[in-house]
Formats: sequence, structure tokens, C-alpha cells
Amino acid sequence: MNLTSILLASDAMSFFKENTPAILICAVLLLVVIGGGFGAILAYAAKKFHVEQDPRVEQITAALPGANCGSCGMPGCGGYAEAIVKGEVELNLCAPGGSKVAQMVAKIMGKEVAEADKRYSVLLCKGGNKVAGKFDYAGVSDCRAAALLLLGDKVCQYGCLGLDTCERACPFNAIVMKDGLPFVIEERCTSCGACVKACPKDLFALVSEKKTVVVGCQSHDPGKVVNKICPVGCIACKACEKACPVDAIHVIDNLAVIDYEKCKNCGLCVKACPKSTIYNMRKTRKERAERAIQAEAAGDKEAAHCCVS
Amino acid sequence: MEFLRQIKNGVFKENPTFVIMLGICPTLATTTTVKNAFFMALAATAVLICSNAIIALVRRRFPKEIRIPCFIVVIASFVTMVDLMMNAFAPEAVVKALGIFIPLIVVNCIILGRAEAYAAKNGVLNSIGDGIGIGGGFMLSLLTISTIREIIGSGSWWETPITTAFSGDKAALVKPVSVLTLAPGAFLLLGTMFAFFKWRRAKKEAKMGVEMVAAAVPWEVGPEKKKETTQGAEA
Amino acid sequence: MELLYIIVGLVFVNNFVLAQFLGLCPFIGVSKKSSDAFGMGLAVIFVMAMASFFTFTINEFFIRAGGQNVFYSLAGTLGHAKAQKFIHEKGLSEVLTTGVFILVIAGFVQFIELVIRKTSRGLYDALGIYLPLITTNCTVLGVTLLNMKNLQPGGDWTKMAFGEGLLWATLSGLFAGVGFSMVMMLMSGIRERLAVSKLPKAFQGAPIAFICTGMMALAFLGFTGMIGGLKANLG
Repeated sequence: MNLTSILLASDAMSFFKENTPAILICAVLLLVVIGGGFGAILAYAAKKFHVEQDPRVEQITAALPGANCGSCGMPGCGGYAEAIVKGEVELNLCAPGGSKVAQMVAKIMGKEVAEADKRYSVLLCKGGNKVAGKFDYAGVSDCRAAALLLLGDKVCQYGCLGLDTCERACPFNAIVMKDGLPFVIEERCTSCGACVKACPKDLFALVSEKKTVVVGCQSHDPGKVVNKICPVGCIACKACEKACPVDAIHVIDNLAVIDYEKCKNCGLCVKACPKSTIYNMRKTRKERAERAIQAEAAGDKEAAHCCVS
Repeated sequence: MEFLRQIKNGVFKENPTFVIMLGICPTLATTTTVKNAFFMALAATAVLICSNAIIALVRRRFPKEIRIPCFIVVIASFVTMVDLMMNAFAPEAVVKALGIFIPLIVVNCIILGRAEAYAAKNGVLNSIGDGIGIGGGFMLSLLTISTIREIIGSGSWWETPITTAFSGDKAALVKPVSVLTLAPGAFLLLGTMFAFFKWRRAKKEAKMGVEMVAAAVPWEVGPEKKKETTQGAEA
Repeated sequence: MELLYIIVGLVFVNNFVLAQFLGLCPFIGVSKKSSDAFGMGLAVIFVMAMASFFTFTINEFFIRAGGQNVFYSLAGTLGHAKAQKFIHEKGLSEVLTTGVFILVIAGFVQFIELVIRKTSRGLYDALGIYLPLITTNCTVLGVTLLNMKNLQPGGDWTKMAFGEGLLWATLSGLFAGVGFSMVMMLMSGIRERLAVSKLPKAFQGAPIAFICTGMMALAFLGFTGMIGGLKANLG
């Protein structure tokens, strides 16, 4: 008594054995009719209701990363593709895609595109938990909401409020909060600009990877005031302005501002600043690159992937 | 090797319920008892393996535009077969409890998703391996959830009473929490389990992120450390 | 009056999402923004009503056992008495329901998408993009299969004429869709508020959405006795 004979002997199977021809023919007939009928209707409808669409729109949409982050300023990757084909926008606006995607889009459109520098998001504040709070804030846990209430719950009205808005805004998980300040994981940063738009205090800037010196403060308060409220804020002492050999940094309206066209990353202003407001990313970027190479050599693929820019 | 790797992949790394988060409907609806969950997972796995195999076999012959309807026809045929076999051979109580969820396997996101994501692009043997893996993962997750729901919710496992068999003082301690066998309990349990797996994954990723954070946060260069950062002039 | 009981039953007591576990994937996916949820809701109501209409018709004339079946007449004219007897008594519902229904739904939705895309750009932007998402969704196939349950021996619609049954079927589809959309709009409101709340990282996103769904399901359990109460008070 093998399985086949058991199957064939059971009631269910015998019933179907008797009526198989009827079932088979009806099933095939019905499916052919429905399949054929819908096939014909859809073919006709596709022709009659055809919407003209440039085939390049599809090609470009396929070339774009598909993250729909909106950094190009268009409604999603599909929107950007349509705008490109209409000829309304630049071809290299896709930040997450970078120059690779820009080249692909240019090829599809038959044009040339200039290589843009890779940029990272940098933070323009060092205060964080070092700055005292004015009051206990118990409202919606979002910096944009807190900023509406008396300019925020910190004694410095220009500084970081630390309520994770930027961390949640980043679509690539490149921001991590530490000590009340956001830390940008540059390996994951695609300079899409979501953090720039999200921060109500405008504490993010997209700076070329080749420029490594950053002023970590946005306070326009006079030096006496800043001295009292923040241990690392800019007091507009002009020591940096005097130290700079290429005249790239100036104190404007109580705040040191770097002109990145002139800055040579020498770091003399970093040494000169008495409050350590200005910081240099060069060393940390070099260390990260070294760790990536080490990780790759040791075969740790996941760590290497995170570190490789 | 690819075959075995696909099996392992389907069960753990790409577990359909907890990682990819597909096929939630049958997961919640059929896990009231372990018996129902087992038969559901069995049916889904059978359909998955067969449809993956056939689709991988004929993948090069379909024009792109009618891909999805063709997949659906193949899957629907196998679902009908499995439906008839379950009606014939599975216990009647199970079939009644599973109800429309057996025919609904045809629109289960897992089956169609795997057909499009894997079977349409890989060979027959690997697709079968993928089917076994994902089906196995589905079975594992279904059994886990149904075990929790049945033991805590009705005090039994595979319909053999466990906690309800206690008597006297112990019986008062382990009264079944029947909300778990109802709809709300299923949602709450699944939400908590998702949170648990997300936490585990975040811990693994955070380990990498924390290393990046801990090593040389650029603005923590204080006065005493400034002497170390000898920049020197760079052209 | 019957209509009121059916509406209450489909929208509150046996809500498709919270009590019957159908349509969870798009429910979790699309309910993040209220505008998305609204568009999806409208699309779902429309598709479910139309799908119920067409599948009920096809079931009546091609699949169901009985004298009105086209194949019955066909077998009669060709002189196959045994086949005729089989179709009259048993019908093809066991074998053909799943495949035919899903093909009809898929074809119909595809057709509607083409028409809307051409005729009304505004309507297409609002709900056209959700139409393919609904095709392979358990809600639509689920409501059509549940309508079939009422036609089985002992069901509510077995004694009705075709026209009356068709009306009930379409209304069932419509109000099941209303129940689905209502819960989705409620959920989107909750999730928009959740987006700015401080949650532990592990719970953000899907986990807290499921837990909130569980709370809603708990609340909807309170509707269980509503039909009985209505019947008692309204006669």
C-alpha cells in the first residue's frame, strides 16, 4: 500500500477522478475567456488611454537612488526625473547619488555635467549640555516646537536645544546625539540637507570635504554675555582674525566667520582661539580613513563599509 | 552552497515576519493556537516552494509587462491545490479556524514578493532553497508567536492543557490571559516583539556607531589637548 | 433595518483591520500621513465595492452550482449529462474561486488605473498611485471570499434572487471599505502625533504603530454587543 494508492482510494480523490473531465474543461474555458477578455480590454484601454511619457523619464528614475529624500527640491525621484526631461533643472542636484548618478543622468540626456565636490554636514555649535537651561521644558519633544517658546529652553538663544529633531530628520541615520549635541557620522552623510532644513537654529552647514576647519558657534551675543553662558562660545576676541595668514576668517557681528574660498585648513585659528570654539576635522577624518583601511585589511567587511567614504 | 546559504538566510537574516515585515495578516490571524499556526505555515511553505520553482523555471519566457499577472496565475493554481488538500487531509477544526486565510495565501506579500525579488532572477535550485528558507523562517516565527499566545492566552500547547491542568493554589496563579487569543492581544504582542528585535539590531549597529562617536569627537579638543593638535602650515 | 445591522457589523463589530486582521500591510505602510491615508481610503472603498460587484456576478453565472451556470447550459447543449449533473449539484467553486477572483480584481484595477490616469490627473495624483497597492491586498480578495461564505448552505443570501444578492454583496464591499478607511484615518492622526513624541528608539515606527492598533482593537471590542442591543431596542 503505497502513497499513490492511498491517495487514489480516499473519498476526496475518487470524487475528483470521476468528475475530472468536467472540471478540467470548465476551468480551462473560464480562465481562457477571462484571461483573453481582460487581455483584450487592457490592450485596448492601454492604447485608448495612453498618456504620453518621454521614455527618458523612466530611465532617469531608474538611475536615481530612489530614496525620495527631496534634497533636489523636487517631489521625490520621479518628480526630479520629470523636471530634468522638461529641461527645467540642473542635472547634478541629487546629493545622495553624487557625481556617479549625475554622470548617468547626463549620459541619458546627452549632456555634460561638472563634477561637484563631495560635501558633509557640519555642526556649528559646541555648547550642548555645557549650556544651562532657562526653565524646565515640558512641551512637544521637538527642537522646532521648543524654539517657538521664548527662543528655546537654553540660556544661549542661538545654540543647540538637543531634542533630537535632526536625528529624526536624517533619512540616512547619519546623526547620533551625544552630550546634547548631534554628531554627524560622515560615512553615512550624503549632504542631502535634511538636517539643515530641520534645525530651527540653522546650526548645520554643508561644507566641502576638502575644507576641515569649522567655527563651532552661531551666537551673535557680545563677548561678555557669551563668556558667562557658554564655556566654548565665540567671544569675538578677534584672536583668530589676527592669526590667519590668508585673511580667511573675520569677526562679523560678534561672531567669527570663515570664508571657505580662502581657507587653507592650516588650523592656526584653532590654536589661537582661547575658548576652543573653532575645531578642525582633518585629524578625525584621517583617523577614520585609517581605521577603514585597517578594517578592510582585517576582513571586517561591515566596519570597513561604514568607514569608507 | 548557495542553496544552503539561502535556507539559512531565509530563516534568520531575512525572516519574513520580523525582518522584512511581510505577511502580517496571516501571522496574527492564525496564531491563536499552535496547531493552526503549524498548518498555516505548512500550507504557505508548500505554495512558496512550488511557485518559486515553477517561476524560476519559466522566468525567461515572460514579457516584462505581464509578469505580475503570470506570477499570480501560477501562485493561484498552487494555492487551489493546497486548499483542496487541506480540506481533504487536515483536521476539520483547523480548516474551519483558518477559514479564508488559506485562499488568501495567493495575495500573501511573502509569496509574491519572493517570486519577484528572487525567483524571477535566480536558478531553480536556489529558488527552491529560498522557498525552504523563507518558509522555514515563516514557520519559526509563526510557531514562536503562537506558542506565546497559546500558553499564556489559553494555558495549553497544541491543545494539550498545560497551565490549566494545574489544580488548587497553582491554578489561581496561572489563570490564562485571554486577551492574547483575541485581536488586541495579537497586535500588542507583535508590537512588543518588533520592538525587541529592533532593539537588538540597533544595539549591533550602535556598537559600530558608538565606536565612531567615541573616537576623537572633533569638538572635544580642549585647552590641554590643543598642544597635541600640531597642525603646522599646509599649503 | 437589515442594512443598519450589516453596516454596524462591518464597520464596528467585525472591523476588517482590527477584528479580522485583513489589510495590515498597507495599513501600517500608508497611515503615516493623513493625506495619504485619505487617498488610500477612498481608493479602497471604491475597489472593494466594485470588486464585490463583479466577482459576485461572475460567481453566479460561471462558478456557482445551479441551473443559471453558463457551463450547465453548455454541457446540456453538448449532451454531457454527467457533467451537467456535476455542475448543477457541486459547482466549480472549490476549484475556481481563488484564481478567477484574483484575476478579475487585478484586471479590473489595472483598467481603472489606466482610465483615471488619462481622464483626471488630479484624481490620479490623489488615489491612482494606491490602486496597484490594493490589488494584491488581502482586504479586497478577503471581502469577496467572505461574500461567498454567505452563499454557502446555511448562509444568509442563499434564498435571495440574484439582483438582491448582488446589492447586498456590493454594499458589503462598500462598508467593509468604509470600516478600513475609518480606522486608517484614525491611525494616521495618532501616528502624526507619535512622530513628534519622544519614544525609545526601539519602539519608533512599526512597533508603536502595532501597539496603538492593539489599543484601538481593545476599544473596538467594546462594540461586540452592539448588534444585539440594536436589535433589542429597535426591533
